[in-house]
Amino acid sequence: MAMIEAEGLTKTYHVFQKKEGLLGALRGLYRREFKEIKAVDHVSFSIDAGEMVAFLGPNGAGKTTTLKMLSGLIYPTAGSARVLGFTPWRRDDAFRRRFALVMGQKNQLWWDLPAADSFQLHREIYSLPAADFQKTLDELTELLGVERLTRQAVRELSLGERMKMELIAALLHNPRLLLLDEPTIGLDVVAQVAIQKCLRDYHARRGVTMLLTSHYMRDVEALCSRVLVITQGKLVYDGPLSGIVERFGQSKVIRLEFAEGQVPDDLGRFGEVVRRNGPSADLKVGRARVAEALGAILDRHAVADVVVQDPPLEQMIARVFEEGRASHDAA
Amino acid sequence: MSRLARYFRLLGSLARYTLGREMAFRSNFLVRVSVEVLWLGILIAFYRTVFARTRSIAGWPEEHYFFFVGCFFALNGLIETFFLDNCNEFAELVRTGDLDFLLLKPIDEQFLISFRRIDFGTAPNVLMGAVLMAVALVRMGWHFDPVRVGVFLVTFACGTAIAYSFMLLLTSLSVWMVRNQSLMEMWWLFSSLARYPREVFQGVAWAEPLGRLFTFVLPILLVVNVPAGAMVRVLDPGMVAFTLAATAALLWASRRFFQRALRSYRSASS
Repeated sequence: MAMIEAEGLTKTYHVFQKKEGLLGALRGLYRREFKEIKAVDHVSFSIDAGEMVAFLGPNGAGKTTTLKMLSGLIYPTAGSARVLGFTPWRRDDAFRRRFALVMGQKNQLWWDLPAADSFQLHREIYSLPAADFQKTLDELTELLGVERLTRQAVRELSLGERMKMELIAALLHNPRLLLLDEPTIGLDVVAQVAIQKCLRDYHARRGVTMLLTSHYMRDVEALCSRVLVITQGKLVYDGPLSGIVERFGQSKVIRLEFAEGQVPDDLGRFGEVVRRNGPSADLKVGRARVAEALGAILDRHAVADVVVQDPPLEQMIARVFEEGRASHDAA
Repeated sequence: MSRLARYFRLLGSLARYTLGREMAFRSNFLVRVSVEVLWLGILIAFYRTVFARTRSIAGWPEEHYFFFVGCFFALNGLIETFFLDNCNEFAELVRTGDLDFLLLKPIDEQFLISFRRIDFGTAPNVLMGAVLMAVALVRMGWHFDPVRVGVFLVTFACGTAIAYSFMLLLTSLSVWMVRNQSLMEMWWLFSSLARYPREVFQGVAWAEPLGRLFTFVLPILLVVNVPAGAMVRVLDPGMVAFTLAATAALLWASRRFFQRALRSYRSASS
């Protein structure tokens, strides 16, 4: 069953163009110039129940705008969407009870009160039975290791602790669909891993459907097998994460450590030298030519150590973005 | 019915949490209450001085007038306690995009935005207004009349609803304006109009159309005048009926306008 179905989803903004200087500002009072910006441009995709999908794209690509349309916060300019069988922007209570949105850059907890108070209010707004609520709360605080922090005013928590509380607040009503917008932004590695682990465990236990945006490839690798890539409002890739490696990772990186104590001068003949440091170097070589290049190097030089790896996922994703942009500009 | 009960329960919870928050900043609370007490004191002293030199203002003798002032004070206190902060904060929610979380809750948006925070600093004003009304009634030798009390209570609720509707209309504009500092100024204008008897507009040629405008078109003058008049002056059924109709129309119109505004919400970038 499809949890999310988006069909030709489009959002256009009219943005006021402010002129430079005082004269420009005065002119803007009576004659305003607007620019039309297509934040999301005919995006279509479908996500099945239980899937964990990553939504990738550079800043301003339209990820958050899409999430906001899917959660019913803003109305699309064109297109349609069904989320959990509802039209999200009608904001039916039945719809809103079944999903949650977590935004890493915003907080929904009451700043001056302990998180426990916000959770209680949440219970009342969602009319959750007290026993179920307590059970879920205990489960979540244990999962995230924050049992001792719920009585502390939210403003006194660290960013990582606050994010964990935000996540708990979002999961208390046991949503069937979880939309996450940059849930680990600004967090240190330890907190990032804790959030990832919580999401993974929660998914395994409850089978909740998740759609997340993130700038951290680690989040994506740890959680999602399918990715949607969006650039300049257009969906340019929809498929498995491994597909990105196949499609865009046409080269590999050979990390070499030479026994001679220094990198030989003729290394550039075998590929592109992307890093050089004392006796070691990274050599970028086309996928098909790896064996041939490696053989040739080993024939000529004494090599102490060798590792062959795919280029970092970040680099590949950047290529997907660039390709999307190039085809957009060409069109 | 269960829906109504749920909303009342929620209102209770919101009140509890905001009280908890308010008590965390106790001295702020105490200063605010003192300021309100002082303000009422000045108001009473001023009108005592005026009435020392004249028998009535626009046909309202002293005790009647004090009932009017008490009524205004209580009603204004009610509005400030429940709505002023919330409406004022709405523009900020729009500007920062924090409105997002309120819109995601499975609950009526207008309810949550209108009652999100209860400002206990102005809650004692309701009590002070009520005391002032009671003292005025005793001093004028008022005899208990259940019909008048009933009409007073209903029209007082109407007055509150009319004031709230105007506030919601002004608040909704924030969605398009984003920065809406005019709200507080408009509210000040509103309460300045509501705080004097309607009769002050009578007998002056240029002021009469204004009086009619703010009674029948933008019915701000109904807010305090009708409940206070029903209690201590002539009970005018026509005016009461008009107030009921105006209340229903304004509540409906402001709700529609608010919903229309939410459709245009752009949700600031995260």
